[in-house]
Amino acid sequence: MAERNQSQKPERWPVARTADIAPGECLIVSIKRHSVGVFNVNGEYVAVLNVCPHELAPVCRGRVSGTTLFSPPGEYRWGRDGEILSCPWHGWEFDLLTGKALTDPRVRVRQYPTEVLDDTVFVVL
Amino acid sequence: MRTRVPIIDTDIHPTMDPYRVVDFLAEPWRSRFASGNHGPGTLGYWNAAGFLQADAVTDTGEGIASHPETLSRLFFDVYDLEYGILNSESAIHIGVGPDMDFSAAVLSAMNDVMVNDWLPTDPRFRASINVGPSDPQLAAQEIHRLGNHPGMVQVMMGSGARIPYGQRFYHPIYAAAVEHDLPVAIHPGNEGVGITGPPNATGYPSSYIEWHTTLVTSYISHLVSLITEGVFVRFPTLKFVLVEGGVSWIPPILWRLDKNWKALRQTTPWLERPPSDYVREHIRLTSQPMEEPENPQHRKALLEMLDVEQMVMFSSDYPHWDGDTVDFAARAFMKEQRTQVLGETARAVYHLPRASATTPVVPHEATAHG
Repeated sequence: MAERNQSQKPERWPVARTADIAPGECLIVSIKRHSVGVFNVNGEYVAVLNVCPHELAPVCRGRVSGTTLFSPPGEYRWGRDGEILSCPWHGWEFDLLTGKALTDPRVRVRQYPTEVLDDTVFVVL
Repeated sequence: MRTRVPIIDTDIHPTMDPYRVVDFLAEPWRSRFASGNHGPGTLGYWNAAGFLQADAVTDTGEGIASHPETLSRLFFDVYDLEYGILNSESAIHIGVGPDMDFSAAVLSAMNDVMVNDWLPTDPRFRASINVGPSDPQLAAQEIHRLGNHPGMVQVMMGSGARIPYGQRFYHPIYAAAVEHDLPVAIHPGNEGVGITGPPNATGYPSSYIEWHTTLVTSYISHLVSLITEGVFVRFPTLKFVLVEGGVSWIPPILWRLDKNWKALRQTTPWLERPPSDYVREHIRLTSQPMEEPENPQHRKALLEMLDVEQMVMFSSDYPHWDGDTVDFAARAFMKEQRTQVLGETARAVYHLPRASATTPVVPHEATAHG
């Protein structure tokens, strides 16, 4: 693991064993006084600042699911299981793979890089 | 969180324990309610994310708004509220059931649970007297029964109703409210439920988004009815609170109403002043759900068209999915409007003493309702 120093340079923070976060689940950790949700998105680890850009809700406490894909009127097509985070307050949906809100790509949750070394998940922040 | 001005939240939704409701019911309603038949629920629309904020639960999974202690500690304390008006979950639905004797008995029992289990636990709690709109005599009885209780500060009905709220049919409710100096409020959510008829003028919407968005049409219709029927001429001290009905539609509807009045006043000769004057004087609005236009300047411009400081009162709608936090709502209003909007207008409407002067509300004698 990299040496930690007092600078603001991003560092790698070990947050969990890979087995600790099952697909579709989220572990909320505190890094540098930030609450960060670490999600297992179908095997990929994604770190999200636990603040919704709308009314500052703890967005990582929301539901992870699939969603209805764009479709013609009257048709419902389900997809993207495990990739969509819904804010627990107002239900805004965010794409966990990009951080972008489904209704407006300019609106996004803040994300941080992750790394997996051996069986340890790191967040870079 | 500390804020500079006192905050009074005018719409909070506690859940009444149904077992306690049973305790206050007389037979045959006790058996009926205890069997699981609670009268009408919702129309059954679907909100994928749920109707309650998903994090409005304790670590052990209990609803924060289901217990007085957790509501105090995990909501009132967190947002540093001076007062909050508690509007019981599901009362407006029960109030429009077809069996009015049953509806009235259940609403009375829910009111008793509020008076006995909730109000005594926290001096910041205030609540609404739930009544049904379909039988104004029964409603008036309930208002007289609880109207002098210091913790019950308003009369509450759903905005779904059989006929518009301005009609003479409702006068017994308004007369009773005025006698006890209580404002009357309506709250959305029971449109299309029970005997209210279709949720909007076109019929039955297919989806929750359509139903929820068009709830405002109930408010437009009731407001215009209240004014044109002369309710505030007949009851000059009555204040009427439009809870959760939106704010942005008011100015253009009043332009339309005032314009029509100039040509059509012969049909409403009791209106001596432009209709918008009566609205300003008698109608109060709660802030949630704040409309959120793409350009915030547009909302600011719209709010300039309204007597915001006199008419708008902060509400969170906690713990519902479309609620607003204090900070979010405060930012939407001009600095000089915040003291009024966040607390002082509500203090005047509900006659709330400054917090330093409050004493706990005393428990009420438990009685069963037949």
